[in-house]
Amino acid sequence: MDFSFSQEQQMLQDSVSRYLQKSYDFDARQTLVESDAPWSDDVWQQFAELGLMALPFSEDQGGLGGSISDCVAFAGAFGKHLVVEPYISSTLFAGAALAASDNSAAQKWIEKLASGECVAALAYEEGHGTANLAQIEMIAQSDGGGFTLTGEKRLVIAGAQADILVVVAKISGSDQIGLFLVEKNADGLETRAYDTIDGRSAANIRFDQVAVTHDAVLLDNASNALESIFANTIIVQSAEAVGAMSALLELTSEYAQTRKQFGVPIGSFQAVAHRLADMKIAYSKALATLTYTTALAESGSLTVRDIAVLKGQVGKLGRALGEASIQTHGGVGMTDELNVSHYHKRLLAYDAQLGDHFYHLRVLGQH
Amino acid sequence: MNIDFAPELEEFRTEVAEFFATAPTPAIREAGRKTTSVFAPFEQCMQWHNILYKKGWVAPHWPEEHGGTGWSVEQRFIFAEEYRKADLPPLLPQSLGMVGPLLIDLGTQEQRDRYLPGILNGADFWAQGYSEPNSGSDLASLSCRAERDGDDYIINGSKIWTTYAHHANRMFMLVRTNNEGKKQQGITFLLLDRVDYPGMEIRPIVGLDGFPEQCEVFFDNVRVPQSGRVGEENDGWSVAKHLLKHERGGGSAASPTLLRYCERARAAAAETPSPFGGTMADDPVFQRDLGELEADIASLAHFEKLAISGHEIARDPAFPSMNKTINSELVQRASVLMTQVSGVDGLARQLEALRVGSNVEPLGSEFDLVAMPLYLNSRATTIYAGSNEVQRDLISRSLPGA
Ligand SMILES: Cc1cc2nc3c(=O)[nH]c(=O)nc-3n(C[C@H](O)[C@H](O)[C@H](O)COP(=O)(O)OP(=O)(O)OC[C@H]3O[C@@H](n4cnc5c(N)ncnc54)[C@H](O)[C@@H]3O)c2cc1C
Repeated sequence: MDFSFSQEQQMLQDSVSRYLQKSYDFDARQTLVESDAPWSDDVWQQFAELGLMALPFSEDQGGLGGSISDCVAFAGAFGKHLVVEPYISSTLFAGAALAASDNSAAQKWIEKLASGECVAALAYEEGHGTANLAQIEMIAQSDGGGFTLTGEKRLVIAGAQADILVVVAKISGSDQIGLFLVEKNADGLETRAYDTIDGRSAANIRFDQVAVTHDAVLLDNASNALESIFANTIIVQSAEAVGAMSALLELTSEYAQTRKQFGVPIGSFQAVAHRLADMKIAYSKALATLTYTTALAESGSLTVRDIAVLKGQVGKLGRALGEASIQTHGGVGMTDELNVSHYHKRLLAYDAQLGDHFYHLRVLGQH
Repeated sequence: MNIDFAPELEEFRTEVAEFFATAPTPAIREAGRKTTSVFAPFEQCMQWHNILYKKGWVAPHWPEEHGGTGWSVEQRFIFAEEYRKADLPPLLPQSLGMVGPLLIDLGTQEQRDRYLPGILNGADFWAQGYSEPNSGSDLASLSCRAERDGDDYIINGSKIWTTYAHHANRMFMLVRTNNEGKKQQGITFLLLDRVDYPGMEIRPIVGLDGFPEQCEVFFDNVRVPQSGRVGEENDGWSVAKHLLKHERGGGSAASPTLLRYCERARAAAAETPSPFGGTMADDPVFQRDLGELEADIASLAHFEKLAISGHEIARDPAFPSMNKTINSELVQRASVLMTQVSGVDGLARQLEALRVGSNVEPLGSEFDLVAMPLYLNSRATTIYAGSNEVQRDLISRSLPGA
């Protein structure tokens, strides 16, 4: 057993951290979030130069053949800096869906993704029930030359900006789930763009009989592929969340040592000290589970239960740690100006996506 | 022991419900549904305040001779229950719940004559200027200074977290008038007739939910008359302690609001698909979570009813702290449950759709629109009015042998 990052992985981690420290401090991030731009094209290009865009794709596909632990190595820094660029949703989540297909159109998009020239979105979420794939309601109706897609997708990250959508839909007349490519300007799409509470750009997208040809079918039986795509995405998102937790733990314990009330640092009150201790325990548990689960994935022996443990634990522990951070900061913790509440909102968003901790803990109890 | 279930009470309930069904304007109703804080949207809240005033129902918890309703405990609860069922905006606590009762108890006749009418009819809104950047939990360490000058005080320093100071036209505040001896002994309680005195500046602070609710208030040689003092100079701490009893509970009941959150969560859950099939409302785990919350709220309701009836539970020195602790933590739990129901639909930042009178349609339901802002805002309930850590200290000190 070895749970440490390799030297190459540490180098990758260092270079991403160094870049973000230099160019992505909290003020710069807030300026970006408050601007009209959904994210920074500059940062996007820098990610490409750092090799992140090509990293997850196989060498055959023009990528670097990176592994899940490579992504985990640097994703913590995304959490620390509250990155709003849709890297995980586009390159990893939608990218993996494209990579799961041998469709030639998919290959063309992968090349563009790997060079940082385009943004993709995986339109999967439909609202509450869809943490369970079986609850997908969007229908792909077969009609002669192809399919028509009808339904509504929610919280599609970068859904309004993406050059290409990968859409998850149930194939009518079967219980199979298909994956479909939809061009951004397809007829019958109605997109409502919005910002999320954690500073990202998302959209709800209505599909009204959107026609796609047979060439746009990436997979016609995608359940197994999606399960593993979700698992990998959850692992990397968890690494991002654990990065946010580590930042919160550090800045909250520093605050408790410097903030004085009644003539002493608030960290000297037992109620505060014990809360900080609980935060450290929460962080350490989350980090351990993240690391172990990543190693399981690398060893090819990840199960549904392992992912349920990871998402359930990091979701629950992250929320608790975020709430404790705000409480420890008192009034300033409630402000938009301080980064604490923004970390907490990232953790809330993490928890709600791809099944919240209530869902995953229950899945675990069921199996 | 007896609880009154007389038929007249049902008539009273009908009367109240009918008034709530007809009196509020559409904008007031919208403000009520879009309230995501203990502090409702200001403008519509004050309009509603004035409508209730004209009806004679604005201050049920006040003594009758000062404008109270003289209702029984049962009636007061019925009023609160119907109020929440109609989703009307709660009235702001600072005026009717804090400075008003304080002036009734400790103000001079002149102060009461001058200020109680505006507090009752809603022409005035009072901000509470206590906390300072370096004096939060340790309020007694406050350093915003007031020095005598003829018939006036000259104020220098700053306040922070002053809720709705940007909407207020008056302010009550604590100032330091003496630096010697115990820190509690050099504090004075002042009423400011205006908040636009020369040298005063108010800057809103944007909260984590995206709304400006609290403010910073700066004082640069601000001259105010000494006639605004409540109590003696340097005795403001005991005035503030008296007011705190009103602030931390006693007056009005929180449980009807909490129950209403549960009802809204239950109704939304019945419309929300569950990943396990059916709706969330059918999910036994959700039912248990909701049931556990409702049971705790029921106990709070019982606690509140006993207290309002004058039961000895309310004479316990720890009563205000217990009331505040129970209530604030239940608000947070209820809001967590609400975000659980709103799920991913709660992740959209919809500031414009939340504004009263906005023509931007919410992305999903009105429930999804308010759940997350309410959750975020309610993180404050365990911080303000004395943090819950400090309350637990106070409760533990009330125990035998402590
Ligand atoms: C939404 C909101 C509205 C507010 N409205 C007003 C208003 O209208 N007027 C006004 O004057 N003020 C207002 N306040 C300020 C509020 O009263 C203070 O935030 C509160 O007193 C806590 O002070 P602080 O924020 O400085 O936190 P601190 O006192 O710095 O506390 C930070 C943390 O340390 C803990 N702590 C401090 N002392 C102890 C101790 N002895 N033992 C254990 N733990 C301790 C606290 O519990 C907290 O977790 C408001 C605050 C909020 C958040």
